[in-house]
Amino acid sequence: MPHSKAITRALLLIAISLYTAFSAGPFAWTAMLSFRTTSEISKAPYAWPETFRWQKYVEAWTGSNYDTYFVNSMVITVLAVLVTTVVGAMAAHCLARYRFRGNRLIYFIIFSTIIFPPQITIIALFQTLVDYGLYNSRVGLILVYVSVQLPLTVFLLEGFFARLPQDLFDAARMDGYSDAEIFWKITVPIGMPAIVTTVILNTVHIWNEFLYAVVLISDESKRTLPLGIQKFMGDQLEDIGMIATGMMIAVIPIVIVYAIFSEKLIQGMTAGAVK
Amino acid sequence: MTDASVGRGAIRPLGRVFRISPDGPPLGTVMTFLTPALLVYLVFTAYPVLRTFYNSVHILHPRAADEYVGMQHYVQMTTADPTFWVAVKNTMIWAGFAPLLDVGIGLILAICLYAKAPFARFFRIAWFTPVLISYVVVGILWMWIYNFDWGILNGALRAVGLESWTRAWLGEPDTALVAVMVTHTWKWAGFNMVVCLAALSALPKEVLEAAELDNCNWFGKAWFVMIPMIRPTLVNLLILSLIGKMKIFDLVWIMTQGGPLWATETVSTYVYKRAFQWQTFDLGYPSAIAVFWFFVVLVAVMALKYAFRQRDRLEY
Amino acid sequence: MKSAIRATALVAVTALTVMPAAKADTELSLWSHWADQGSKIEFIEAGIEKFEAAHPGVTVKPTWYQKNPLFAALKGALQAGQGPDVFYCEPAQTEYIDNGFLLPLDDHLEMSNIEGWAADTWRHEGNVYALPLEAYTVEIYFNTEMLEDLGFDLPEDGQLSAADFKKLVEAAAGEGITPIVQGAGDRPFPGAYLTHEVLLKKIGIDAYGDLLAGTKKWSDPDVMEALDYMESLIEAGAYPRSFATMKLGESHYYFYSNPGGLMLPMGSWYTSRAFNAPDQGGQPEGFPLGIMQAPALDESACPECKTANIGGSFCVNAESPNAELAAEFLNAYADPEMGNLWLQKVLVQTGIKSDASTVSGPHAGYFKMLEAADKNNTFFQGTPHAILKGQCLETFKQVINVAFPAGQVGAGQAAQMMDQACSAG
Repeated sequence: MPHSKAITRALLLIAISLYTAFSAGPFAWTAMLSFRTTSEISKAPYAWPETFRWQKYVEAWTGSNYDTYFVNSMVITVLAVLVTTVVGAMAAHCLARYRFRGNRLIYFIIFSTIIFPPQITIIALFQTLVDYGLYNSRVGLILVYVSVQLPLTVFLLEGFFARLPQDLFDAARMDGYSDAEIFWKITVPIGMPAIVTTVILNTVHIWNEFLYAVVLISDESKRTLPLGIQKFMGDQLEDIGMIATGMMIAVIPIVIVYAIFSEKLIQGMTAGAVK
Repeated sequence: MTDASVGRGAIRPLGRVFRISPDGPPLGTVMTFLTPALLVYLVFTAYPVLRTFYNSVHILHPRAADEYVGMQHYVQMTTADPTFWVAVKNTMIWAGFAPLLDVGIGLILAICLYAKAPFARFFRIAWFTPVLISYVVVGILWMWIYNFDWGILNGALRAVGLESWTRAWLGEPDTALVAVMVTHTWKWAGFNMVVCLAALSALPKEVLEAAELDNCNWFGKAWFVMIPMIRPTLVNLLILSLIGKMKIFDLVWIMTQGGPLWATETVSTYVYKRAFQWQTFDLGYPSAIAVFWFFVVLVAVMALKYAFRQRDRLEY
Repeated sequence: MKSAIRATALVAVTALTVMPAAKADTELSLWSHWADQGSKIEFIEAGIEKFEAAHPGVTVKPTWYQKNPLFAALKGALQAGQGPDVFYCEPAQTEYIDNGFLLPLDDHLEMSNIEGWAADTWRHEGNVYALPLEAYTVEIYFNTEMLEDLGFDLPEDGQLSAADFKKLVEAAAGEGITPIVQGAGDRPFPGAYLTHEVLLKKIGIDAYGDLLAGTKKWSDPDVMEALDYMESLIEAGAYPRSFATMKLGESHYYFYSNPGGLMLPMGSWYTSRAFNAPDQGGQPEGFPLGIMQAPALDESACPECKTANIGGSFCVNAESPNAELAAEFLNAYADPEMGNLWLQKVLVQTGIKSDASTVSGPHAGYFKMLEAADKNNTFFQGTPHAILKGQCLETFKQVINVAFPAGQVGAGQAAQMMDQACSAG
């Protein structure tokens, strides 16, 4: 038996390595490109950088207003994700825990709008924002992001919350927990794996969002990072080396955020398993 | 945090006042939890969606009165627009295959990590990285990979002597759709992995230990114990993936804009073309497509839910 | 209930919104394309300075976009009554005029300083609706050294017969050189350049206009002769294998740097990419650039014909409270001095009256060559992607721009697809 187990293990490792090359290879390749100039790249697209040209990152950052875009993206993403998570978790908890008339109807209505393509609703959304004086404002963009990400958040969280054992909540109520306490002290901690999943997903979506950012914001000083990145995306010049640098600047922060949060995710999952 | 503090303070007094029924939950509690979500929803989601329904039966003149045309757009779309049907076909192909692929790969990866593969932490991040990258970046990156002259795919084929297999992957009608589909799956498999992993980690250890005692191997454990137990998660993922494919837009728009010869045209790219690229301010026709498609997707999702409905609820 | 929600939302929103800062006396807003084209930005800013100096208390605030994001943003803003005072526009965007978004500019611009043909591009029912700033011609750029190495000699007037042109293509392909570098991966027009030049020469200005207007069939024998000739070039390997996915920027680099090719049919705004520094994707120092005429089939109706068009223009938002002032701002550009400044900075033609001999510096020679290449031409104003509409345009983009030159459909099938899409609507 130990012999065949070793073979299985070796096969598993080979499969895992191949998939890793597939999934992370392109990213690693971009990282290499980001340190090389376009003329170096055109001679040998897959070579290791002979000299690491760090100054390309400085150029990309200073040459294009990146600092402003970056701060805007940070503020907007953090606030929008926070509000989405709290509001979405409250709604999901309510829909999963309380039986009342119209529960499924509300769930269905919220869920069904996930289906609508944003490309078509954006103009009506634009008019709404103008009506409320929220056009070309960061607050408006945050609220739009909250509304866009909310259905998905509710859908994912409701699915998870509904499967938490009812005994837990009955016991809590026996102990005299209020409704608010049940939400904050039972649902949120135990639901943490699902909540963290939605946080990651929402962060990624909002950080990378382009269409709303370009249509709903017109001030240079309020623009977000995807608009800055667009500048490098080779519409005008085919400067592959610089495009790769711009891509890396866009990707690195979100990878760091994920690396931090994924630890939380694991902790959360362990906490959930202990229950 | 304003919303949260409002939630905390307001629950009790309201909860004592209103009750829906003697044994139901207090209305106040329900409203406190739901109101913030519903408010955002009504203002920023419901209105634009209803507006789209309205637009779909009108021809819009931005500086004059809207012209009611009844079902005209719907009739034109279904009877006299071949491009629309090509878009439907492509989207259906995509939605038919890709969700199984996405969730299947995600599940296998999750089980690998759950089985305590070495370097699990590294793999978890490496496999998830594509999810983090924006569509613009993913699109450009894969256009380089598929590049005819110096892309790595053709490079690899030439290296192993398969010169005749090389092609402009995104430029030929036969391969373009598959090429974009592979890219999309590359991006999303990691997300499915993380969700599956979360669901697996939440399983009670005792069940798996019991399976261990029954002398189950890993495959048996995965197939007979784990998958049935995380089935609700898998169904949710399938539904999400299905919806994602049914409204797929960004990646296609960046990589092929629906070409060549409409080989990658999807319903959403066609809607966008009609709304933003046809030199018109009339949103009527694209709105009609969006509404029609909304119902198609809704039916598809409900069919999927029905097909995978839980016959006997698993309790643990 | 609804009004209650609205009221609550309004209160919440008012509390959250940051109050806007105090404004200058009058501020005109300008939304423009060209976010990444420094020389054009410099030109526009020179006009802003000139205008602001002449109008104390008035400032112009430009916002720079890429083209597609700009068009998307304008679509939303104009419909919601939030459009900028002045914005970038192109002659194809007749929907602005149809819906009354544009202020007629005849009475505001110094029309004697604007070329008549340029103004005509924007003339609808007697009114001119934009400042026609950027003008261009469709040229065939080529590598003179490569041409010599292949043993070909270009006549004085740059005109090859259809038969000689085909021999040239075959010779280059035989040597493993890409004869016609072109990429249709990210634009709706480059793949159709050569086809349409051949077609225009063959059938002449009037018939070509009819073809684009949908009153002449693509299956017409004269049109088919041009398409069949193109098909023979395509079969001889005229275009690169990567044609369908190659992007516009890539095709430039492919032509003059790596791997190099013989010809590049391109709008005369070729310079905006090629004249950048070589390490930013521009052409190498001392690149042997030449310009030739498109091949003319025997018995062509108009062998001297060539396509020209107005590109980037500026429009005034008719709904703006400052519309008159905004038009006055645009008039700052309707001035031969500004025309010369445009030529000098941007190295592309302009619809403003200008004098090409004033261009100095390293690219003066290029401008003389361009002038020489255009001096005997008769111009058709307008490109297919600016004239065709709806399903016909969509089919043009997919078939004539991509599938036909990529060899995915033949001449007969292409013509049939165009007829089906263009005569129906």
